Amino acid sequence: MLFTRRLMLGIAMAGALAFPALAEGPTEIDLFFPVPVDGKLARDMGTLIKEFNDGHPDIKATAVYTGSYDDTLIKTRASIKAGKPPSAVIMSANFLLDMQIENELTNLDGLIAADGTTKEKFLGQFFPALQGNAVIDRSVYGVPFHNSTPLLYINADKAKEAGLDPSKPPQTWAELTDWAKKLTKREGDKVTQWGIAIPCAYDYCGWMMETLTMTNGGRYYNEEFGGEVYYDTPSMLGALTWWNDLVYKHKVHAPGATPGPAVSTSFISGNAAMMMLSTGSLTYVRDNAKFNYKVAFIPRNVRNAVPIGGASLIIPAGLEADKQKAAWTLIKWMTSPEKSAWWSRATGYFAPNMAAYKTPDMVDFLNKNPDAKTAVEQLDVAKPWFATYKTVPVRKTLEDEVMLVLNGKKQPKEALVAAQKAADETLKPYNAETSLKLP
Amino acid sequence: MSLAEPATLPVAASAAPRLHVVRRFSDRFKASLPAYLLLLPSLVFLALFTYGAMGRVFVDALYQRATPKAPVRFVGLDNISAVLADPYFTGAVVNNLVYAVGTAIPSIGLALLFALALARTSAVNSALRAALFLPVLIPMVAASALFLFIFLPNVGLLDYYIGRLLPVLPNWLGDSDIALYAIMVITIWKNAGYYMLFFLAGLQAVPEDVMEAAHLDGAGPFMRFRHIILPELKPTFLFVIVIATLNAVTQVDHVFVMTKGGPSNATNLVLFYIYQQAVEHYDIGKASAATLLTLAVLMGLTALSFRTMANREGGP
Repeated sequence: MLFTRRLMLGIAMAGALAFPALAEGPTEIDLFFPVPVDGKLARDMGTLIKEFNDGHPDIKATAVYTGSYDDTLIKTRASIKAGKPPSAVIMSANFLLDMQIENELTNLDGLIAADGTTKEKFLGQFFPALQGNAVIDRSVYGVPFHNSTPLLYINADKAKEAGLDPSKPPQTWAELTDWAKKLTKREGDKVTQWGIAIPCAYDYCGWMMETLTMTNGGRYYNEEFGGEVYYDTPSMLGALTWWNDLVYKHKVHAPGATPGPAVSTSFISGNAAMMMLSTGSLTYVRDNAKFNYKVAFIPRNVRNAVPIGGASLIIPAGLEADKQKAAWTLIKWMTSPEKSAWWSRATGYFAPNMAAYKTPDMVDFLNKNPDAKTAVEQLDVAKPWFATYKTVPVRKTLEDEVMLVLNGKKQPKEALVAAQKAADETLKPYNAETSLKLP
Repeated sequence: MSLAEPATLPVAASAAPRLHVVRRFSDRFKASLPAYLLLLPSLVFLALFTYGAMGRVFVDALYQRATPKAPVRFVGLDNISAVLADPYFTGAVVNNLVYAVGTAIPSIGLALLFALALARTSAVNSALRAALFLPVLIPMVAASALFLFIFLPNVGLLDYYIGRLLPVLPNWLGDSDIALYAIMVITIWKNAGYYMLFFLAGLQAVPEDVMEAAHLDGAGPFMRFRHIILPELKPTFLFVIVIATLNAVTQVDHVFVMTKGGPSNATNLVLFYIYQQAVEHYDIGKASAATLLTLAVLMGLTALSFRTMANREGGP
C-alpha cells in the first residue's frame, strides 16, 4: 500500500516536472546569470527582471542564478546538450569565441537586421574596446553587459608618508618600480610592507599577464584568429621579466602566486601599499579602506593599454523563434542606457553603453565618486580580452609557467618557451582545421 | 599493508558440485525476494543516477573528435592511452598518492590517539569528543573558505602568529612546494574526528575480561595496547583505511575552493583533473576515460574492503 501511494506521488511529481504549463500565455524565457563578485548582485538582478516583466506583459522572464562564470558556462553547455537551452545567458566575454567554434551561439545579425538597423549602428552604442569580444568573423554574437579593466590602486596615506605625491601617480614602469621601492618597508630581511601586489591565480594571472604585455607594446593573442597566442615574444618576455624583477631583484612584491582576494585584503590591511586589480573591486575598496586611496591607469613601459574583462549577453543556439525574439527584447532592454547605468551603479562594473554616462543619475554619481571616472577614462586605451580556441586551457599553460617564475623555480625565458609549446599543442586541432587546412 | 593479507584465506569452500550451487542460489533468491522488493525503489534510483551515468561514461570514453568541427567517432581505447600519456594526469596521480598517504596516516593516527584518550565515558570526555567531532559537521566548502583566511599570506591568522617567529613569511597556498601540504592539513583536521568515532566504537568491543586478566598477569599499558587493543581494532583499521583512501580520491572541494589545482598544478588531484578535462578542455572523451580509470581503482578498493570484511566475519 505504502509503495503504491508513494509511487503515485512520484509519478505525479515527475509529470509536473516534465510538462510545465502547457497553457497558452506569455512567452517564458530563462536568463542564466553568474555572480562573479558578491551576493548582493543576485538581489539586484531580481529587481531588474521584475521591472522588465512588469513592463512586458507578453514575456515572462525568469532569472536563474548559475554560480561563477565557469559554472555558468558548464550549466549552459549542459542545458544545450539536454536540448533545453536557456533563452539568454550573461557569459564571460572571452568564452564567446570558444562557444561560437562549438556552434553553441545564435548569430545576432538577423535579429539586428529585423529591427531595421545595421550592425555598425547597433555596435556603435558600445565603447569600441568592448566590440572585439562581441564580434566574431564580422558577425555579432554577444552584447556587452557589464565590463571592467585593471587599475592601479594606491594607498595615498602611505604614499604621502614616503614622500610621494598621490595626486601624481606613477605613469611608467620605471616610476612604479621607484614608488614600490620607496613604499616597501623592511625590518632586517623581513618585509613588513610590500610596495606592490599583483594577483596571480588561474584566470586573474592570465589577465594580468595580458595587461603587462599590452603596456609593453604586445598583443598576447591574435585578435582576428583563435588559433594563435604570442607567449614567446619580446613584449611578453619583458613583461614577465619585470614582474620577476619586482619579486626577486627589487624585492618589492611578495614571492609566490597570490590570488585576487588575498591581494585586496593585503591592500585593505595596509600590508601592500599599491596593487593592480580589476575595476570590479572598486566598490569593495571604497567600502572597506580605512585610509585615503587613489586609483590610476596601469603604468606603461611602451604604451598605455589594458584588456577588458566582464561579461556579454548571448543567446544560445537551438532556440524556438518566439523565445529567441523574447530574449532579444530582454537583451536590448537590459543594455539600454538607463538600465546599463543603473546596473553599473549597483555593481561597480562600468556600463558598456556609452549613452549611460549621459543619464543625469550617472553624471551625479561620477561627480560624487571621481574614482569611478578613472575606470571609464581608461577605456579609451582598452582592447579586447584574450579569446582563443579552448581559451581556458590555453591561458592555463601560460599561468602555470608564470607561477613557476613567481615561485623562483624558472627563469622568464624558459617559462615562456614552455608555455608557448604547450599552448601550440592545445591549439593544434583548431589550426589543423583552419590555418593549416590547405587546398 | 595488512589490506592484502586476508585475501589468501578464502579457497577452502569452493569444491561443491555445480547443480547444488544453482539450486542453492535459486532457493536463496526465493528467500530473499521480499528483500529485493524492499530494495527496489533505491535500486531504481541507483540505476538512474549512478549506474546509468557510469554506463554513459563508459560509452563516452570510447568516442573522440579529431578536430573541433569534426563529428565524434569511435576511437576505442585511444582516450585511455591519451589520458595515461598526459603528464598532467600522471602529475595528478602522484599528487593524489602523496595526498592519500599524507592524509590517511596522520588522521588515522590522531583518531586512534583521541579515541584512546577519550575511551572512558565522562562528562569531560563527552565534551572533548564533541569538540573533536565538530570539524566533521562543517561542510568542506565552508571549511575551505575559513582556511582561505587562515592561510592568507602576510595578513592571515597563521602568518599573524607564526610570522613573528619565521624569517620569511610563507605564501601557504601560493608556493608550489607548500600548497599541497597546506591542503592536506585541512583534510586531516576535518577527518580525524570522524575516524575517532569508529575507533571509539571499536574500543567498546575490546573484551573487558581479557583486559582485566592481562592486567592481573602484570601486562603494562603498552603491552595491553600492543597485544590486546591493536589486534582487536584490526577490522576497524581496515575499514577506516578504506574510507580514508576513498575520501582522498573523492573529496576535492577544498582544491576547488582554495587553489583550483594550482599553483602550477601543485595541488591538482585526479578528480579535479577530470573536472578540468570536462569543463575547461570540453573534452568529454578524455574526461570519461579518466573517470573510468578512477572508477576502476575505486571499485577495486571497495571490492577488496568487502572481501576482507567478509573473510573476517566468516573466518575462523
